[in-house]
Amino acid sequence: MMLQLIKLELLKTMRSTSFAKSVLVALFLGLLGVILLSYLLLLGFFLKEVVEKGFNQPDAYVAVSAHLIYFFLAEFMYRYFTQKLPVIELERFLHLPIRKSRIINFLLARSFISPLTLIAFLIFGPFAFKEVMPRFGDGAGWSWLFCILFTSWSLHWLMLWFKQKFEDSFTGLAVIFVVLLLGVGSNYYGWFNIGELMKPVFDYSLTSPVPVAVMFVICIALYRLAYSYYYQNAYLEDLAKDEEVKFANSSFGIFNRFGLAGELANLEWKLIIRHKKSRTYLMLAGFFLLYGLIFYTNPAYQAEAGFSHMFIFVGTFITSIFMLQYGQLFLSWNSANFDFFLQRRGGVEALVRGKYLLFVVTSALCFLASVPYVYFGLDILLIHIATFLFNMGVVIHLVVYLSLWKPKPMDLNKGAMFNYEGVGIAQFLMMLPIFLGPYAVYFPFALLVNQYAGLAALAITGLVGIVFSPYLSSLPVNKILKNRYEISSAFRQEL
Amino acid sequence: MITIQDLKKQYKDAVVLDVASLEIPKAECFGLVGNNGAGKTTLFRIILDLVRATSGRVLLDETDVSKSEDWKRRVGAYLDEHMLLSYLTADEYFETLRKIYNLSEEDLEEHLNKFEELFNDEIRGKKKYLRDLSKGNTKKVGIAAAMMGNPEVVLLDEPFENLDPSSQVRLKKLILQEKERSQITFLISSHDLNHVTDLCDRIVLLEKGKVIKDLHDKSSMVEELNTYFGT
Repeated sequence: MMLQLIKLELLKTMRSTSFAKSVLVALFLGLLGVILLSYLLLLGFFLKEVVEKGFNQPDAYVAVSAHLIYFFLAEFMYRYFTQKLPVIELERFLHLPIRKSRIINFLLARSFISPLTLIAFLIFGPFAFKEVMPRFGDGAGWSWLFCILFTSWSLHWLMLWFKQKFEDSFTGLAVIFVVLLLGVGSNYYGWFNIGELMKPVFDYSLTSPVPVAVMFVICIALYRLAYSYYYQNAYLEDLAKDEEVKFANSSFGIFNRFGLAGELANLEWKLIIRHKKSRTYLMLAGFFLLYGLIFYTNPAYQAEAGFSHMFIFVGTFITSIFMLQYGQLFLSWNSANFDFFLQRRGGVEALVRGKYLLFVVTSALCFLASVPYVYFGLDILLIHIATFLFNMGVVIHLVVYLSLWKPKPMDLNKGAMFNYEGVGIAQFLMMLPIFLGPYAVYFPFALLVNQYAGLAALAITGLVGIVFSPYLSSLPVNKILKNRYEISSAFRQEL
Repeated sequence: MITIQDLKKQYKDAVVLDVASLEIPKAECFGLVGNNGAGKTTLFRIILDLVRATSGRVLLDETDVSKSEDWKRRVGAYLDEHMLLSYLTADEYFETLRKIYNLSEEDLEEHLNKFEELFNDEIRGKKKYLRDLSKGNTKKVGIAAAMMGNPEVVLLDEPFENLDPSSQVRLKKLILQEKERSQITFLISSHDLNHVTDLCDRIVLLEKGKVIKDLHDKSSMVEELNTYFGT
């Protein structure tokens, strides 16, 4: 029976639409994954040198052990965002005469086979062999390594339970926020040092098997927790809860002034807050506002005069990350009800204009929210103004137009992370003009005159684009109308 | 009202629709029947310009439907859930349509009142997204939406499917009333021979994309159809 299930799982992967339809994209992503993992392995091999030379720590082991807790906090975060829940699979098996316990054990085990499981081993395995074992003995090294692995794997099971129970709820967000605060607070502001707090646990594992045993038990206990939670909730009604209408009345008042396009912008806003995938994009846009903290405070990017060229790129992202991400899949968001718009007179045009309106409003909000960065210098504000104008005048049209190259359908109720539904080659190629576009305008002036001339060039180009936007935005409308049959039949999944 | 000329739809080698000529006059109730894969939905989709015809054309009062968009105001349709906005509640959906069609709130209220019996208190005022409604209730919403904004032509694909028996009777009554009142041209496809022959003055039978029967005589059509379908 287990064999049968495994075989089904393999077939599912081979025949999944995204895999079969764009082998190239799948290959590219696979390659990217392998490269990332091998970078981690490389980091693992040179962790000792990196810590000793790069961070000027006299004792690599002490430094690593003291910072392990930050690794686990980070792991908690990336697991929260990327780990997939196996419940969706449950539906297909529940009605079959297979014991529930067996199905759930299988699905849980299946979820364990993932690159995420390897990350801790890739980083700390080589370090244990190179540094810990020679210094403290083989037994100590193994014990230290397993202590780490069991902690990492405990997080895996914890996350399966946590996400299923709290995802999209206020509690879930609060916990994530607290974890972020713990990491940032203790590190940057030195309120307390949780690293020192946890270090004794790993030190103890060098001399005694107790920590490993404890972590092992915790790991098993968390598996049981996830297992029993899934077991008790293995009913269709619990898996796919009918959503209560939470945000029924939330809409942007200002959209009402823009006629039909405004009405459709409001609709699009409802679409965003009522689907999981788009909600995640929205949340990410919030996180990306903090992106500047990494760059603007980083001494590596402090230029002696003016500002680092890099900041143009940062500014582009901060001021319209939502437009860039959401706009990439421009029409795919409406793939489930594209016929609705086709069947109305002027429907497609209103849809496109509504989306433009929404992009402008969300980007303007992002821009306003980013104004406090002026704290790091007036230059930052100027950069944000210039990139914002350029985004609204030029980048927005590039993104929308390119996204119309073979749009693909997607299911909005699946999570956003590592979900490449709707993504095709166009979405990758699109990155080029998004990254290079601002620099193509900025560099000639920045290098020949000065950086502020570069910013002015960006702003002026943006303004010109904004003036011509009635014309520029009619291009995608015409393109959609021209390809309407192909798009609508692709969205109905007939091809 | 609707004129179909040499219409053909082909996917690679497979011809799924091949209609040499078909004329649907105003205020006619036009029934379309045929087994699965006969091309009923494809024909409707081509009439609505959702699918490109391989050759031939569909004229709506002399205008080719693939060449302009103005006719869309005069045609209402419900084929499948792709034509709904599944992330809205029924009330929000009707409200959105009201704005799109530029109707007043009274117009909308009046329109929806006609459906009160059909809705059976299960549609309006409910805090449930369309995607979470049962299939029958989704269909009711789609049909009410298709008839909104005083269309001259209404296309319904399998309107009786998934409806409970009393709703089926109510829907039939509703369609007959609308036909009397506002001279709407109905195009209805159905597998339910009794309903469709009750409603329609004319039944066209499709087989593998071809019109093989065009029945006008109400008294004999039931028998002829029963012989064809072997029921």
